[in-house]
Amino acid sequence: MKDSISRLAILVRREMWESPVAFKWTPVILFGFILLSSLLALIIGMRIDGDLVFTRDGLRMFAELDPDQRRLFASGALFSISALFHQVMYLVLIFYLAGSLYDDRRDRSILFWKSLPVSDTMTVASKVLAACILAPLLYLAGIVITQITLLLIATVIGLFADINVFSALWVPANLPKQWTLMLYGSLVQGLWLLPIYAWLVFCSSWAPRLPILIAVLVPLMIGMLQHFWSFFSNFKLPEVNLLLIMLDRIGKGVTPASIEWEQIVTSEGANIRPSEELFMNFSSVTRHLFSMEMWIGVAIGLALLTGAVWFRRRATDN
Amino acid sequence: MTATIHARDLARRYGSTVALDHVDLDVPAGRIVGLIGPNGAGKTTALKAILGLTRFDGTLEVLGLDPSKDRDDLMQDVCFIADVAVLPRWARVWQIIELTEKLHPRFDRAICMKYLARTKIKHKSKIRALSKGMIVQLHLALVMAIDAKLLVLDEPTLGLDILFRKQFYSNLLNEYFDEQRTILITTHQVEEVEHILTDLIFIKDGKLILNDTMDDIYERYTEVMVKPGDVDEARSMNPLHERVLFGRHIFLFERADVSRLDELGEIHKPSVSDLFVALMGDRAADAEAHADIEGVRA
Repeated sequence: MKDSISRLAILVRREMWESPVAFKWTPVILFGFILLSSLLALIIGMRIDGDLVFTRDGLRMFAELDPDQRRLFASGALFSISALFHQVMYLVLIFYLAGSLYDDRRDRSILFWKSLPVSDTMTVASKVLAACILAPLLYLAGIVITQITLLLIATVIGLFADINVFSALWVPANLPKQWTLMLYGSLVQGLWLLPIYAWLVFCSSWAPRLPILIAVLVPLMIGMLQHFWSFFSNFKLPEVNLLLIMLDRIGKGVTPASIEWEQIVTSEGANIRPSEELFMNFSSVTRHLFSMEMWIGVAIGLALLTGAVWFRRRATDN
Repeated sequence: MTATIHARDLARRYGSTVALDHVDLDVPAGRIVGLIGPNGAGKTTALKAILGLTRFDGTLEVLGLDPSKDRDDLMQDVCFIADVAVLPRWARVWQIIELTEKLHPRFDRAICMKYLARTKIKHKSKIRALSKGMIVQLHLALVMAIDAKLLVLDEPTLGLDILFRKQFYSNLLNEYFDEQRTILITTHQVEEVEHILTDLIFIKDGKLILNDTMDDIYERYTEVMVKPGDVDEARSMNPLHERVLFGRHIFLFERADVSRLDELGEIHKPSVSDLFVALMGDRAADAEAHADIEGVRA
């Protein structure tokens, strides 16, 4: 058991060595992009707003806001940054997974990997774990560094504005809660997207070429056929459409903590002011985790992964 | 003791092409077996079946395991170098060593480092930056550091220069091979391996044409460079093959009376490549060559 875990760990590390752009450089580039655009905004701001008078005034006004409002804005602004990281991550993972069991067949290095005493199940598991655990952890590290850097910039301006940066910025940002929630949320999200990930890995395990195209075209064709069939036979749109189910699954899974739309609807009706609970809500993630839809997806995902292992066992260099 | 490789009725077809035609094969431990055959004869298919890389019909046991089911267990005791450099091109040398060490329980890093120290390979280099010869050296260093029972080499020295090839086989023979180990080699460069082989297998159209130890083969086949006057007599003794070299006729006999052959001319051991041509050569092409010889004489 312990042996299997340490073997899995080195296999997952192997994934990072093979795809440094997907796992390492993309978060670094995102950090650089956000930092540069913030600094650029400040520099342009200084041109228009000499000595940042208005910016400092704005911060002062912000510091005098209602604590609830401060929490909503401070954590909301920082949380929205994480959304960018996560959206890019899921996009990168689609390409990573589609190539995961294909690239070594193409360049024949599969002959080396298969000469190691590693089971095909273990190989497939390492690809899925890299997507479900390694990527969220590395992108979370990117988020943490970006958020701290941005808060530090705001702190410097805040010090010039003579506000209590601690109570005005750091406390309402509520970083520990954000990070825990993101960690929890992105792990749950990995499980939620397992059927999509597994589909990509499955296509990657047998596609003779262009696995990404096959992975997209197959559901697209099936979805369109279902559409036409249903439309021409019954004059109505299909009730069950594979493509829409898959898109729905991805659409619900863009950020780690899904926004509580219900809360907004009720808050409008009851005139309750929205709080940061809108997007930082452990119980909504937990509810998501224990939903029926989640576990049906996980079952489909495991079935597809079993198929991927079956194909992997038969795969050689040609 | 179980045989290293034990195959009965081993068969594999690709569509209408027969790659392995009901082959029986036994390889005991401590042998160096050359599997020789023309392109498309079924060599690679046989190796792939042994390594658990392809499906097959019939029974096959390698070190007591079924390769199609227990590849990962089997690979604890089997190593493999393929005809092309198959080390992943994106990896760095130290990463490959690290991976092999963590994933292969019988890998000894110190031995690997000892072999690498003799080469110009740098630990930080990417595989894609290494020459073909260096990649083979690295792969050989990895494999020699693994305490395996069976080593499978599929055209390991293809595309390497003669210095590399000589060094490759001398490392293998002097520092790796012992009575517990078995090495299975396929190659086209027969001359380079024939002095290290203990067993020889010829394969053609998925069938084993020859499967014997080298000692038996030298006992069974005799080559005679016949004196010009005795050519007709030699022909009457039903030779397997006849060729002409610098105007001298060279005949290959199977199980012939050595004392009689001695009178006909100079006797020597046939080389593996001559045997190959005699046993595997196209009969039609042989007959044609023969007719040409007759033509020249007339």
